[in-house]
Amino acid sequence: MGVIHQPSSFENLLITTRVEKVMNWSRATSVWPMTFGLACCAIEMMASGAARFDFDRFGCGIFRATPRQADLMIVPGTVTYKMAPTIKLLWDQMPEPKWAIAMGSCATCGGPFDSYHTIQGVDKIIPVDVYIPGCPPRPEALFYGFMKLQDKIMTSSLADRYREIFEEVG
Amino acid sequence: MSDANLPETPAGPYVYDYKTAPNRQIELPKTVPLPGYRAYVAEQKAQAEAEEAKWQKQLADYETAKAKAEAEGKEAPTAPVKPAPKKNDTDMVFPAPTEAQAPDLLRLMELLGDKVEEAFEQAGEMTCQVGRDHILEALKLCREDASLKYEMLADETATHYPAATDFAFSVVYHLTSLARKKRLRLRILIPEGFEPQSATQIYPGANWLEREIWDMFGIRFQHHPDMTRILCPEGWEGHPLRKEYPVVGWGQRDIDFRDDRSGMLNRIALEKAGQLGINLKQPKAE
Repeated sequence: MGVIHQPSSFENLLITTRVEKVMNWSRATSVWPMTFGLACCAIEMMASGAARFDFDRFGCGIFRATPRQADLMIVPGTVTYKMAPTIKLLWDQMPEPKWAIAMGSCATCGGPFDSYHTIQGVDKIIPVDVYIPGCPPRPEALFYGFMKLQDKIMTSSLADRYREIFEEVG
Repeated sequence: MSDANLPETPAGPYVYDYKTAPNRQIELPKTVPLPGYRAYVAEQKAQAEAEEAKWQKQLADYETAKAKAEAEGKEAPTAPVKPAPKKNDTDMVFPAPTEAQAPDLLRLMELLGDKVEEAFEQAGEMTCQVGRDHILEALKLCREDASLKYEMLADETATHYPAATDFAFSVVYHLTSLARKKRLRLRILIPEGFEPQSATQIYPGANWLEREIWDMFGIRFQHHPDMTRILCPEGWEGHPLRKEYPVVGWGQRDIDFRDDRSGMLNRIALEKAGQLGINLKQPKAE
């Protein structure tokens, strides 16, 4: 006869973890991207959000129509010189914490457009967390990139925003 | 803008070196590929003359060789055979331009008289080249004449011909008649700096098309309601579709994020102020 383990009521009610982990978990599983598209990659992003692929399974299907409610900026498409100030303005309007994904060859490095009107990668105007190559990338590629972003969010620390200050102080 | 005025290349991994970029090298075209019946006829004539001259030279060579052989007592060389014209059986050949025979073109030539510089047909398409000062008259006729009735301006664009001597650009008007299901192309040839009349007086849809031509080629139109850039940001230097414009541009790819870079906010504010009747201009202390 073995002793059957009877869970106590505390074990049913309480989960012990760290605040940081809860914060990261909640942030990583409810990333709201901005409704925003530049070129053909945006079509692929829309397909990712639609029923066949369903972006919302990963918690990032709620595309917000304003940058003030968005956490993630997916930059899908060619960034032209004329559009760059607008992208910068939208990025500045997003509240912290915020992340950016450069989707497709154009947003990562300019792609085939080595010409006068194209900025050679959106990382020249905003900081980018994940780069997704492809022309355009498949929805699976976008999901993989987004899951990489989730990994990154899970490794972030609440002290991140203060680290720079402390490092400056020395 | 010459090479001497190019921006100095600062050090850094993400800065484009404009002076050594391969896309900055420009190769200007040496021919003028302007389609036209007269040019085609002249080209055919020149080709035939060249072939005839070649044949005459072959004959003369044969005569001299024959005389030489006779003098030396040798066998005479074989006489040359005139080569038969090559038969081209492929159906991929682009059709050659022919003389104007369509009733629309004939009607235009009748109405405009000697203002028509050239009219021809090619591949079932009608083209009429008019004098550059008479384009407005031609457009008005095309729109309002009862037997023409071209009520839609489908497209308006331009082409740069740097190798041409007597003109620099051709401005092309593509007209469509919805009622008669016909298309007509009007064309003018203009030199550098010439300002054609705006077609907006007859076809209001030409507004943005002409703005695009100004943006891309630097051709200004007279009496246009809003002659500003449409694709490039305001304050852009150069006109990108000109042949002498390098593909990577003249250094504009280095981004400048000063407030209201294009002047658009200022313009909108001025427009709104105009609607409200407010004078935004602040008096300045001298």
